[in-house]
Amino acid sequence: MSGGTSSGAGGAAARMDRRTVLKLAGGAALLPAVACSPPREQIVPYVDMPEGLVPGRPRHYATALPLTGYGAPVVVESHQGRPTKVEGNARHPASGGATDAFAQAAVLSLYDPDRARAPVWRGAPGGAGEIRSWDGFLGALEGRRAAWDSTGGAGLRLLTTPVCSPTLAAQIAALLRRYPAARWDVWEPVNDDNALQGAIQAFGRPLQVLPHLAAARCVLALDADPLGPGPQQVALARDFAAARPGGKQPRDGQATARLYAVEAAMSLTGAAADHRLALHPADIPAFAAALAAELGAVPGAGMDAARGAAPQGAHARRFLAAVAEDLRAAGPAALALAGRTQPPEVHALAHCINDRLGAIGRTLSLVEPIRGGPALVAPSIAALAADLAAGQVSDLVILGGNPAYDAPADLRLAAHLPAVPFSIRLSPWADETAMLCRWHLPEHHPLETWSDAQSVDGRIGLVQPLIRPLFDSRSAHELLAALAGDPAATGHDILRAHWRERQGGGPSAFEDWWIAALRDGVLPGMAAIPVRPPAAVPPPAVAQPGTGDRAAPGFALLFRPDPALWDGRFAGNAWLQELPEPFSKLTWGNALQLAPGDAAALALDEGDLARVEADGAVLELPVVHAPGQAGGVAVVHLGHGRRHAGPVGTGRGVDAYPLRRSASPWRRDGVRLSAAGGRQLLARTQSHFRQHGRDIVREIDLAALARMPAGTDSLPASLYPEPPLPPGPQAWGMVIDQSACIGCNACVTACQAENNIPVVGPEEVALGRTMHWLRIDTYLAPPDGAAGGDGAAGGDRPLFQPVPCMQCEKAPCEPVCPVAASVHTQAGLNAQVYNRCVGTRDCQSTCPYQVRRFNFRDYAAGQAYANLGDPLYRAQRNPNVSVRPRGVMEKCTYCVQRISAAGREAEAAGRPLRDGAVVTACQAACPTGAIAFGDLRDPAAEVVRRKALPHNYALLGDLGTRPRTTYLARLRHSNPVLAADRTGGAEREGEG
Amino acid sequence: MTLVLEFGSAAALVQAVPRLRRAGHRPVEAYSPCAVEGLAEALGHRPAPVRPVMLLAGLAGGAVAFGMQAWSAVYDLPLDSGGRPLFSWPAFLPVTFELAVLCAAIAGFAALLTACGLPRLHHPLFDLPAMARVSADRFLLAFERHPGAAGADLQDLVRACDAVALHEVTP
Amino acid sequence: MSGAAPLPVLRLPPDLARAEALGWLTGTIAGPVLRRPLGRLWWLAVGLSLAGCLLLAVSVAWLFLRGTGIWGLNSSNVWGFAVANYVWWIGIGNAGTLISCLLLLTRQHWRASINRYAETMTLVAAAIAGLFPILHLGRPWLFYWLVPYPNVMDLWPQWRSALVWDLFAIAGYLTFSLLFWYTGLIPDLASLRDRARSRFGRLAYGLFALGWRGAARHWQAHDLFYRAMAALGIPLVISVHSVVGLDFANAIAPGWNESIFPPYFVVGAMYSGFAMVVTLAVPIRRFLGLEALITLRHFDAIGKILVLGSLVMAATYLTEWFTAWYGGATADRQLVAYRLTGGGAAVYWAMLVCNVALAQILWWPRARRSPWTVFAIAGGINIGMWLERVLIVTDSLSRSHLPSQWRDFVPTFWDWALLAGSLSLFAFVMLVLLRFLPAVSMHESRTLLPPAMPPGGRAPAGAVP
Repeated sequence: MSGGTSSGAGGAAARMDRRTVLKLAGGAALLPAVACSPPREQIVPYVDMPEGLVPGRPRHYATALPLTGYGAPVVVESHQGRPTKVEGNARHPASGGATDAFAQAAVLSLYDPDRARAPVWRGAPGGAGEIRSWDGFLGALEGRRAAWDSTGGAGLRLLTTPVCSPTLAAQIAALLRRYPAARWDVWEPVNDDNALQGAIQAFGRPLQVLPHLAAARCVLALDADPLGPGPQQVALARDFAAARPGGKQPRDGQATARLYAVEAAMSLTGAAADHRLALHPADIPAFAAALAAELGAVPGAGMDAARGAAPQGAHARRFLAAVAEDLRAAGPAALALAGRTQPPEVHALAHCINDRLGAIGRTLSLVEPIRGGPALVAPSIAALAADLAAGQVSDLVILGGNPAYDAPADLRLAAHLPAVPFSIRLSPWADETAMLCRWHLPEHHPLETWSDAQSVDGRIGLVQPLIRPLFDSRSAHELLAALAGDPAATGHDILRAHWRERQGGGPSAFEDWWIAALRDGVLPGMAAIPVRPPAAVPPPAVAQPGTGDRAAPGFALLFRPDPALWDGRFAGNAWLQELPEPFSKLTWGNALQLAPGDAAALALDEGDLARVEADGAVLELPVVHAPGQAGGVAVVHLGHGRRHAGPVGTGRGVDAYPLRRSASPWRRDGVRLSAAGGRQLLARTQSHFRQHGRDIVREIDLAALARMPAGTDSLPASLYPEPPLPPGPQAWGMVIDQSACIGCNACVTACQAENNIPVVGPEEVALGRTMHWLRIDTYLAPPDGAAGGDGAAGGDRPLFQPVPCMQCEKAPCEPVCPVAASVHTQAGLNAQVYNRCVGTRDCQSTCPYQVRRFNFRDYAAGQAYANLGDPLYRAQRNPNVSVRPRGVMEKCTYCVQRISAAGREAEAAGRPLRDGAVVTACQAACPTGAIAFGDLRDPAAEVVRRKALPHNYALLGDLGTRPRTTYLARLRHSNPVLAADRTGGAEREGEG
Repeated sequence: MTLVLEFGSAAALVQAVPRLRRAGHRPVEAYSPCAVEGLAEALGHRPAPVRPVMLLAGLAGGAVAFGMQAWSAVYDLPLDSGGRPLFSWPAFLPVTFELAVLCAAIAGFAALLTACGLPRLHHPLFDLPAMARVSADRFLLAFERHPGAAGADLQDLVRACDAVALHEVTP
Repeated sequence: MSGAAPLPVLRLPPDLARAEALGWLTGTIAGPVLRRPLGRLWWLAVGLSLAGCLLLAVSVAWLFLRGTGIWGLNSSNVWGFAVANYVWWIGIGNAGTLISCLLLLTRQHWRASINRYAETMTLVAAAIAGLFPILHLGRPWLFYWLVPYPNVMDLWPQWRSALVWDLFAIAGYLTFSLLFWYTGLIPDLASLRDRARSRFGRLAYGLFALGWRGAARHWQAHDLFYRAMAALGIPLVISVHSVVGLDFANAIAPGWNESIFPPYFVVGAMYSGFAMVVTLAVPIRRFLGLEALITLRHFDAIGKILVLGSLVMAATYLTEWFTAWYGGATADRQLVAYRLTGGGAAVYWAMLVCNVALAQILWWPRARRSPWTVFAIAGGINIGMWLERVLIVTDSLSRSHLPSQWRDFVPTFWDWALLAGSLSLFAFVMLVLLRFLPAVSMHESRTLLPPAMPPGGRAPAGAVP
């Protein structure tokens, strides 16, 4: 039916401009109707057990969301055929029920009205397109296939991202068998080439590292960001939390892992580290080499070499010595990780260290590359670029990615693309690449797709659609089938055929297997098999520090994937655009991050426009200060400045790809910085990061914790009689473990998705208005860190503090409300009655935590930002949460809709609410289990156990608000050797 | 038949009242551009019960206000508001006071009008041309003549009282 | 007290005959009210203020259309100009009644020359103040939900909220001061009724005069009621502004949660109110030719009151700083530090200069007795008091307990437009009322005339009762 829509519109609009036609075809009236229909094919359990379907009760389906060649295992909540919320797949070891912010935001992009709705043909690439039907495309394809058959596919190139779908990989392999002269190239801007080349150096073949943080007792991250954004985040963060008992059993003697970070720019891993050393990237190889030598992992004079090599002064040497000592002590329980931004030698050195300590197989395993396609992407895309330049490419099929935007600038891919006679682009959005291809074919959203995907641990899960495609789109499988001459094949058939072949066995057995696989979302026993490589071979001697590029004048410009937009693919997603960057709290754009010292030297204040010059290429973007960043380093996030990303993403921030070179994709040396003149109003959600001597984020050294008596957090006196707990069925409470919080923002997006929280847009954020019910405050540890400062304790260690509503028992916001819109429920919730609210805002002005959020404009509907008011987006909304109009105050409710749903279920089942029956959206999303929620009356509840811990405390408790939400002080497992070193900070500053 | 003496000053008016009494006339009411000290007492007007009315109305209004708040907060709509007691009486006092004062003021105004017999847009005295200056600079004294008094006596009276003129009012 | 000779309350013409004194007084006051034509200057002023009212109408319409987002509010500064303006206007709106009642009960006879227009000012200012809490709401069309009325939802207002107290305080106070003002006005309306030349004038004034005849019985009841109201008015005024202070004091934001707030706000209200009374006195006596009635004696007296007010304000500021330091709460201490040295310190110091330093000039008798000097100083005080209200609202919210939520308040065009509009509305209504009602109470100023005048004799120049 959607096909009819667009083809009809296409016929009607041969002469019309593409956008107008799409608006017509969109004819939004039809779409919500379409949006509410289940897929044609059988999905489980919907069709099989209709008796299970209760109107108003959501169903949950296991599937996977692809990200950079890995499938994130998820379970999607669907209301009457409308996917509304993504949760992690608890059955899948790589998720354990948690997700990252990207997965949470997937439901929003599904309903993006800017998605491509019909095939578009361009006579002149870059020009306006004409709507065509799929038949029209297939007709054109027939001609080309004839040519391929004759030439064996010479001139046919297939460009994809690393493939996570075994079925798709098999299809491509088959296609290549059919057209031997064709070639398959891959590109991924955030790639692991360095790691794989390091493995080649060490082991002679590309092997992939799977860290097992849970088993580690001492971890060293060499510019590695295992806890940072990316496909591995959820799995590794869970492991890390397991290795750091923090909130769980802090004093039962279980050894707690210690985390060291050596990095140039602040990362989530660096923020979580117990000790962190800020080094210029050019010094990190030397540090690694010295360390390896010290540990005897490579021939060398150890500390002498380090002394000779390490230019970073006494503190860095003490740091190195301490790390070496700790790693040696941990032995096989040690783990050295090198980051994708580090050159291959550092990876090779890390392999040597791990090998020497016997850690391989214990704290990490090595596996063959999990993703399909050529292992190294840089050479692959370079080869394609060469062919394009030589005009040897007659047919180009681009699946996924966005090479015209994110390929290395020096390959000039975008310049060559239009010359290709027959270029096909399959993507859900008309992005930069689509604009330069002859044919743009709309692709299914992952939630509309039948497929399969491998997760970061190599496990395979089936991908089932939650909804019939909203638009006239196809999946990559279907396009591949068409290329292979079978345009009729559906994704469902292709997938089943692939797996029936792989499974063998009889039909009935397969059906059982199929249903189980769909239900679980993960296939049994398919994790990547660790390989046992030969002993690691040390790399050739690394460049000595102080020599080579380190000496190059100017700044080293580092490229990092954006924590919210990743490589730019999420630029069209308003939730992610408005997701604050963890450290600068910047939204809706990127900035040049400079160490405060450098910024002062350049007289660049926050918000000043800086001019970034690297032979010829120039960027102008605002500056933010990045405490804890190494001197002489400037950092910029990729993924911004999109030219074709719809009304939400187009033109936000500055595109840094033009400065990126294939030779060194992560770092550009000799960059000149200067003030460009002029300022830009930064749309940030927080601009004061010091605690000003206030008791906000408590940090305790693990050693000191053992000496703490329980229940030290005393309640201030009250004029009123004190019931221990107000009467009521339950007494809900929450404890947030600040040692576990890594600042990944998953909870913020989860809350937004669950509670229909609107986006306000950059202008409003710049005015200081936000709507996030749950925010993560970032503070800098006081200069003399309460828990013993070290080199990085010079007031630049970030501390994360998630702040939802505290649900105070003596809520200041309630007595001031003139209409009783803010009232206390029996279960102790601090409820907000939206219908009763007249908008005096007295509640927020008296809330010491300032967690209430006011609809200054009609953000949800009438005055929604960009195209967010489009009716199609309404399909995403949670039917159990009311949408708030203009002039109404709203706030965190502890996900009261989930509480009542769980209560109804328990009542129906005639059993009491057991602990864990109610899981708030933020709690469910958190990969580290930092958030515990439950009934304070239930002695067995995790939340009760946590509240009894000695380091449990109430934020601003001395105000007497009696918050139900309390915090566990952040535990720091500092190394006494370094904790004693209090002068390091100044020293490092002096030499940075 | 009522006679009206017209004076140029408050002092003359005040002195005239006992003089008339001695002459056997009965002073009824005096009219002046501003309040004249002791005039009402001289004429024997008893003060109107304006203040008692205000007191009662104030007390009643306050009681009703407090009752309304206590009843609605404790019985009709008991809500836990920030853990405060339902009967948080100190918080009820401001509204109680405001309403008490308001009721007293309104009742007092009503009492004032009743005591003055206002509003009364027409009155026989308004037919008297001299009345127009009472709101500016003239003082009138209305009295009922002694049945036995003759016209000549009245002329003496006018002179004796230092009055400006003598008028007759026929209701 | 200054060593200078006491000034006369009235400056009667030296050759004024006793017999004409009363008539002269009535003529002087009623003259400008009954005079025709209205005069070019008046029309000009009305035109200007009407233009301002148009701005008000536009900004209110835009507010209802687009919501409070048109203001400079943000997630931390959820309160802004609307609340500050409200507090400022209600402060001015308290002075008239306070002056009138206080001076009446303390037998300050000179009050008779100024209480009428001060009460008029009070009425208008309080009415305008009443607009802001409604405009401030996110959903202003639902403001009546604060009123206890039988409703199908069986809901009640939340009586512990200072905003509900506010509603009753403002509504009660408005009605009260209307009654007080009107009661004082009735005899004067009668005077106008008897002197109006046009039939319409006679009818209109006559209607509102209710048939007042100036009978001894009338005066007796009038006096009873009027003094009783005065006795009630003083605690009422204090309660009204104490409640305004409580709007802030019962929030636990740093700098708000202080027991000094109610008295502090009452003093501030009286201070700004007196300042506004002088500000108005100068043009009124000048353009209505009331120099004989509103004399240097009044400027002298109000000047002294302003000095006293400034000292009390200084004391409250010092108390705030002291308690912040002595209380030892970090947030409070840092708030004071921020006010004195932070980003907005310039405004805070300007406020201190206007509210404390400026008035010290008035220790000097010659300054007190120069109307234009007092006028200038009073203008400064008006501005200073407005700044104070704004700073009270924004400082605490933009520097609250959690630094992560520290945000600055930046007013937008519409913030200023609403303020300018409210000032224009005030000007317009005052122009109309002063044009058609006596600016000075006639019947009360009659009592100021020296009683002991020898028959037919001359009025001793500058007699003092």
